[in-house]
Formats: sequence, C-alpha cells, structure tokens
Amino acid sequence: MASVREIASAREAPAAVPGASARTARRGRRRILAANGLALLAFVLVWEVGSRALRSSFFPGPLIVGRTFVSLLVEGDIQGYTLLTHASVSLYRVLLGFAASCLTAIPLGIVLGLWRPLYLGTRIVSEPLRFIPPLAWIPLAILFFTGLGRYVFLIWVGAFFPLFILTMNAVSTASPLYVEVARVFGAGRWFIALKVIVPGALPQIVGAMRAVMSPAWMCIVAAEMVAAELIGLGQMIFNYATLLRMDVVIVGMLSIGVLGLVLNEAFMAIERAIFRYRQEVRL
Amino acid sequence: MLEYRNVHKAFDVDGGRLAVIQDFTASIREAEFVVLVGPSGCGKSTLLRITAGLESFSSGEVRIDGAAPDPRGRGRLGFVFQDAALMPWRDLLSNVTLGLEIRGVPKPEREERGLELLGLLGLQGFEHYYPHQVSGGMRHRVAIARAYIVDPVILLMDEPFVALDAQTREGLQRDLLDLWQRLKKTVIFVTHNLEEAILLGTRVIVLTRRPASIRLDREVRLPVPRDPTNPDFVALRQELRELLT
Repeated sequence: MASVREIASAREAPAAVPGASARTARRGRRRILAANGLALLAFVLVWEVGSRALRSSFFPGPLIVGRTFVSLLVEGDIQGYTLLTHASVSLYRVLLGFAASCLTAIPLGIVLGLWRPLYLGTRIVSEPLRFIPPLAWIPLAILFFTGLGRYVFLIWVGAFFPLFILTMNAVSTASPLYVEVARVFGAGRWFIALKVIVPGALPQIVGAMRAVMSPAWMCIVAAEMVAAELIGLGQMIFNYATLLRMDVVIVGMLSIGVLGLVLNEAFMAIERAIFRYRQEVRL
Repeated sequence: MLEYRNVHKAFDVDGGRLAVIQDFTASIREAEFVVLVGPSGCGKSTLLRITAGLESFSSGEVRIDGAAPDPRGRGRLGFVFQDAALMPWRDLLSNVTLGLEIRGVPKPEREERGLELLGLLGLQGFEHYYPHQVSGGMRHRVAIARAYIVDPVILLMDEPFVALDAQTREGLQRDLLDLWQRLKKTVIFVTHNLEEAILLGTRVIVLTRRPASIRLDREVRLPVPRDPTNPDFVALRQELRELLT
C-alpha cells in the first residue's frame, strides 16, 4: 500500500506538505500568544493608571478587583454564593435556552430553506417578529414564566430568529453543482435534501450556532438583571450595583466576558474537529 | 443509440431570446468517443446538459436508446463536471459510490465496486482520504470513476481537464483512454483544446459560433495511441484550427 501511495504522489504532488508548514504555523501561533500576553498586560496597566488618575471609589483598579475576585471565588458574596455558583447557574440557563433554540430554529430553517415559497409566503409574520429585541419580551416573560422557564424563554427568543434566518440562508444557497451531480444519477428529492443540501450547509449551520451563542450569552445577563432572584452573574451585578460595590460589578462584567470567550473558543474547536474537510490548503 | 434531431435551444434574456443551439442534428453510435469542439461560449456545454436532462430545449428531439433524456429514469448517464465537483464532506470512496447509493445498492457491494474502480485509476490506498487532501489530478480521477460506476450507457464530459496543468492532463487523458478501451462506453467529450480532441476522439464535431450548429463532423482514423507529431495529426489539427478562426 505504501508503494502505491508513493507512486501516486510521485506522479502528482500531494496537496499539502505537512512538515515545513506545520513549523511555520507553530511559530506563528507562538507569536500570536506572545502578542496577546502583551495586550493583556497593557490593558491591566492602562486600567490601573486610569483608576489612580480618577481617584474615584467607583472605579477600582485591577488590584482591588483582583482581591474581590479571589474573595468572591473563595468566600462568596453576602448570601454565601460563590462566583462559581453564579457563573455555572448562568451558564446552565444559557445552554438550556440555546439548546431549545437550536432544536427549533435549525429544523425550521432547513425546511423553509428547502422550500422557499413557504418562507416567502409567511414573511409578513416572521420578519417583524425577528426585529423585536429580546429585551422587549421581558415583561411577557415575567408574567407568564417563572424561574428557569423564564430564562430559557428569553434566551430562546434571542437566539431563535438569527439562527433560523442563518440556517435557512445556508440551506437555500447550497451549491447547485452538487445537486446536479446527484440529479444526473437520478436522485430523488429526499436524497438531494438530506444527503446533498443539508450536509453541504452543515458547516455554515454550525457556524451560525456559534454566531448566535454570543447574543444568547448577552441575553442571559440582561434577563437575570430584571428577575428577582439571587443567583446568576447578571443578578450579582445588579444587586451589587445598588450597593455601589463597583469592584464586584467589575468582577461580574469580566467573568461574563471571559466565559463568552471560552464558549466561543470551545465552539470553534468543535467546528475544527468535525469539519476537517473544510480546511483549505494554505500556502 | 443517441440521436439529436433539429435541436434548438434559446434562453430568455431581458425580454429578448438568445439562441444558443440551432438545428443540431447528429447520430452517435455505441462505443464512439465523440469530441465536441467549438469557440468558447458557443453552447457545447448546454448541449451536454440537454443530453443529461439537466436543461430543457426549445424544439427538436433528443433520443437516448429511443427515450427522451431524463435523469430520473434509470440513471443511464455519467456526467463529469468541469471542476471535479466532489462533495467535500464525503471521502473518495463514498464520492465514487454516490451513484450506486442513489440506486439503493447495498453498502458492501457498492464499496467493492468503488474500490475496484479506484484501483483501475491508480487510487488504491486513498479511498478514505477527503477531496481536500489529494491533488487536483486525483480529484478528477475520482470524478471519472464516479461517473463510470453506474455503468452508464453514455459518459458526458464537460471540459473535465481544463483546470489542470499539462502534465497531469496528459496522465488523465491516458487513463481515460485506457478505461474507454477496456469498458467501451459511448463518450461525449467537450473541450476547446484541439490537440486533446484529436488525441482522444474517434470522431470530432466542430461547432460554429453561437448559436451552435455543426461546422464539421469527422471520423478520426489515425492509429492509436495517437502521436501529436504524426503528419496526419498535424494536418487535421491545422484544418480544425482554420475552421475555428
């Protein structure tokens, strides 16, 4: 088998040469890592200098915020909930809502993408709904849902429409060439839909899931801020803002940002793993 | 086995009608290797697409073994597209076996035939590679194998090697000829490369500028394998070139 490969690759050079390009890629990654380290350092420095210049107790510097961060992490807040509890509860809510919108928006987007007339014929209903910001749903959510259901509903509302639209577009713009390839062999509608169009659109659909993850995450914080509960990052920020404890508020803000980054990176790693075939050769 | 009678094709463009094919009449016999050449944009590809049932035509008649072209019928056609058009999410083997999968051939059987064809084209060992992992020439071999696997009555090839470098192209031409001699399919091959046309074809049909009709329909009786330096080869190429300018 090895010899056959050698013959074939001698005849036509294979598409990628792993050795050299991997080395340059590694070097590039190291450089990016170093640059990010510097950027982080610069950010903390500017912050520290800024807070010293301002000399306001409402804008604590990184040292004070760092101390608060540790104490929130270890001892918890006034009620005894640690930062990890707040974060994991928020994360749990957002993932449930996100799952709910994936389970509804993706199938609907696929169906309407395959069958455009149904979308075009119902646009008068779906388009205005799409432009209602998720926050505008909060009063209704408060009246009709309680506890976890309320958060799940708000996340669902925020993520559903963008995900639905992006999925539908991915499906309806799937390459007509692959469809023709299948048609020449006499493929029927179902085969073309399920084995040609949907797999072709899948990378874009998963990309859309990632794109929608960040508004969903932003939604949860806003939703928690208005709800009367004790746990959750948004709730923590809101409660401590009324106490003018800006150090806790900033810890909450930064936690939201960092968790958002982690979610996004995790999603990208999953994408890279399942869509290896999409990685074009870079020279 | 393949009959075109007074085929016309026009597209609607901005209220007017653009005639692409005019009065195309030809009769193609079994196991012929017909090469269609003509100025670019003259409607060669449209003719192939009509034959495959991917495109309708305005008037006239196309008959494949007496039946109208319809891919939904029995899938008797193989089509090799300009850029290999392999599905990037399938590995080479499942790209090759696509046609059999569509016809509902059980997996072990279709994989056996897929491996056999990949072997014929020098691709054994690569069956589980993905299209992006192999070279352009290899992708085109897979595209040819994919068209052959359904045992088509007619193989339609739309400028299949146009994007390849000269060396890879020569290798593929050789392999295609081997395969054709072994399996004797009727082939209709579109190109605008005259040397390729004479190298491969048992018959060359030269089309006019749009709307396409037949300018010249000539059997090529040169000995096989063909030698581009052979005086008759050179003379025929010269003749075709003059027709096209």
